[in-house]
Amino acid sequence: MSLLQIREVTKRFGGLTAVDAVSFDVFEGTIKAVIGPNGAGKSTLFNTLTGYDRPEAGSVRCDGRELVGRKPRDTVLIGVARTFQNTQLFDELTAAENVMVGCQAHQRRGFAAAMLRLPSSAREDRDARAEAGRLLRLIGIEEWLDTPAFDLPAGIRRLVEMARALATKPRLLLLDEPAAGLSAGETGELVRTLERVRDGGVTVVVVEHDMGLVMEVSDEIVVLDRGRKIAEGPPRMIQKDPAVIAAYLGEDSDDA
Amino acid sequence: MGRTLRALAVLVAAVLVACVPLVVTSPFYLQIYTFAGLNALVVVGLALLFGYAGQISLGHAAFVGIGAYTCAYCTVTLHLPWLVAIVAAGALSGAGGLILALPSLRLKGHYLAMATLGFGQLMSLVFVEAVGVTGGVNGRGGIPFPSLGPVVLRSAASLFWLVWAFVAVAVIVAYNLTSARPGRAMRAVHGSELGAQASGVDIVSVKVRTFVLSALLAGLSGALYAGVVGFVSPSSFTLTTSIGFVAMTVLGGSGSLTGPLAAAVLLTFVQYLDSLIPGLPQAAASKLQTYQQDIYGLAIVLVVVLAPRGLAGAWRRRRKGVGTA
Amino acid sequence: MTELLQFLIAGLKNGAIYSLVALGFTMVYAATGAINFAQGQFFMLGGMLGAAFVGAGLPLPLAALAAVLATALIGAVFELVAVRPIGDGDPLRIIMVTIGGSVLFSQLALHVFGPDTRSLTTFTAGPSLKVLGAAVERQTIWIWCLTALAVAGLALLYRRTMFGRAMRATSLHRDAARLVGINARAMVTASFALAAALGAVAGLAVAPLTQTSFQVGSGVAVKGFAAAILGGLGDPAAAVAGGLVLGILESLTAGYIDPTYKDGVALIILLLVLFVRHQGLFGGSGREKV
Repeated sequence: MSLLQIREVTKRFGGLTAVDAVSFDVFEGTIKAVIGPNGAGKSTLFNTLTGYDRPEAGSVRCDGRELVGRKPRDTVLIGVARTFQNTQLFDELTAAENVMVGCQAHQRRGFAAAMLRLPSSAREDRDARAEAGRLLRLIGIEEWLDTPAFDLPAGIRRLVEMARALATKPRLLLLDEPAAGLSAGETGELVRTLERVRDGGVTVVVVEHDMGLVMEVSDEIVVLDRGRKIAEGPPRMIQKDPAVIAAYLGEDSDDA
Repeated sequence: MGRTLRALAVLVAAVLVACVPLVVTSPFYLQIYTFAGLNALVVVGLALLFGYAGQISLGHAAFVGIGAYTCAYCTVTLHLPWLVAIVAAGALSGAGGLILALPSLRLKGHYLAMATLGFGQLMSLVFVEAVGVTGGVNGRGGIPFPSLGPVVLRSAASLFWLVWAFVAVAVIVAYNLTSARPGRAMRAVHGSELGAQASGVDIVSVKVRTFVLSALLAGLSGALYAGVVGFVSPSSFTLTTSIGFVAMTVLGGSGSLTGPLAAAVLLTFVQYLDSLIPGLPQAAASKLQTYQQDIYGLAIVLVVVLAPRGLAGAWRRRRKGVGTA
Repeated sequence: MTELLQFLIAGLKNGAIYSLVALGFTMVYAATGAINFAQGQFFMLGGMLGAAFVGAGLPLPLAALAAVLATALIGAVFELVAVRPIGDGDPLRIIMVTIGGSVLFSQLALHVFGPDTRSLTTFTAGPSLKVLGAAVERQTIWIWCLTALAVAGLALLYRRTMFGRAMRATSLHRDAARLVGINARAMVTASFALAAALGAVAGLAVAPLTQTSFQVGSGVAVKGFAAAILGGLGDPAAAVAGGLVLGILESLTAGYIDPTYKDGVALIILLLVLFVRHQGLFGGSGREKV
């Protein structure tokens, strides 16, 4: 069953059409990759799904609920979590504390309870800390638990951001280039992590340049070029698609 | 430092502060220590606002003023008990903070800085022009000492204890906040607004609440000031006062409560340096006064350029270098 | 009618001054994305240095030129010493540094020139001119001419020179500007120098009418900023318009309502614009991009 339905989404910046009438579905419990040359509109597409950019036209539904027109935070509460191409960690917080912020996305306890250190507030903090530890172990980076984010290597920062997104208990996880900055070994580990996340019931959409990872992990691939969808299908089909090959050959070799 | 060691350090510091009136017996000197507490009360709020949530205010003297005039008006004109007056002062300055924060905190950082500057200047005008309530440039005198029922706190020592008790409560509340979810949310907003939104943080709510809390603490400080001094006038609540608070908070360092507290006390002493040095000739004293603003300005520029983490950062670095970490 | 005309003249006189200060805010904002809280102090330094140079025996035109150049130099040095070390990234830290700098400039003037108010002689002596029954002081005409000259010079600089094009490119997109070989840091320094020069011109032009002292800076800064934001921060032409509108509103308030409220006008406009329409009256949609 399709969890995410993207219909005719168009986003323009001035005269430039960054996303041009793109439609596709993401089925529950699958991993879908969005690929395409630089400037194809992949990150902009993510922004239109999560309330950071409002598309001029089109509709995005997650489990039947419209996402267009909502604020970023409300898309999180609906169950859509994301990471950013330029990681947006909280540098002064440790890896665990970063994830704890995500853990507490749905909590109501506010200022007053915390000021007075009510038992309920202390308990929620303890639970969040335990959950943050569990998630960092799941992703395999528990040794960085108490390291301040500004001391983390670039690749680890992406994984912590992914843990923070998972902490909001999403049904749909959008990852913007999760493998950038990872070594070959770490990328292999990431593939297994993504499969574990999917098998845990979270649907994943990933924007990625590492074709090895994309081909290995995704159930389906969407290819964008200059804002338009030029192909969609399982990895083996995409590899042979003449339009895709043409789009990639037209670009610099580093993405091919 | 372990948790118990830290608790012990805080306890020792609290006992030391409480013992000050036993050592410093001159009411004049003791009042300077009381003023340090009044500044500390404002700075605790600003430490949350600047150092944790990353928002700048250039108008907190206005909230101190609102608190002070509210206390004066309630006690002198309305003959209300002091306890009612101070609650009213906190509520009114908190409400003022809410009215200013709601619209301006939807915007980015530099707009808040300018909005608070404008608000501060506007309130300075109001303090001078609303003669019926504020007494105009001449101010309002005859404000009674703080009292709790039949107990009137009129000795310098009891006023010192009263003010620092407020500081202690404020520090505890602020510490509880910073070590729980709201504190992480504040630092998240400071670290990355995009990331905070993506993690489900309601960034406007976090900023507004922090701002209102800081305005409320400033208002309480003002109300206490009115009771301690017995007289309020517009010259105490100017842009210069606000910039003094900024200097204390910035010098103290971001992400810390103890740093800004120490800086508040330190810069208060600098402010009264001419009275603290015994036997200073009048001419030299007034000369020294003209350099007080230089110290604020230098503190801000030097800390922001050379050591953005302030006193707290220097202290942490030193410990890291000496200790095992 | 004559009364209204008189108020309008007074409003346009102050408005021209606000325009110059607002232009200074706009230029630094365009180059750094931050507000320069020290902008008002450049205004103060212009007037004080001018008075000091005249006091030292320089003829007025030479003293004025020297004061503008000296203030521009101070602006550039301030950028190099205090703003540049912060680097890109955090406009809040730049704002903080300019707040501290503002205090220091004011104090420096206090220590060097003393606490007394200073004045300059009017640039040309003589009685006021009569326009439709209203009086126009000769210095007011000087203010208008200098403002027009500064705006025209700035427009030429922006449109016609390599430097101006680089400046505009930097304000549009800093990283892209760097890619095409523009030295963005040098543009920031230049923006501080130009902003300082504009402030100094304003301070000099108005000093014969209002006198000046070490503490006039922050008041003017608030008004200049109100004008800049009324025009929609970032657009030079709109900043000038914002300044003139503010000047006229102030003058009408003082004339028809109560002179006491004159200083409140700018503050209320500032807060209203921030709250209601922060892209300003003349700005386009102010939506910020992720």
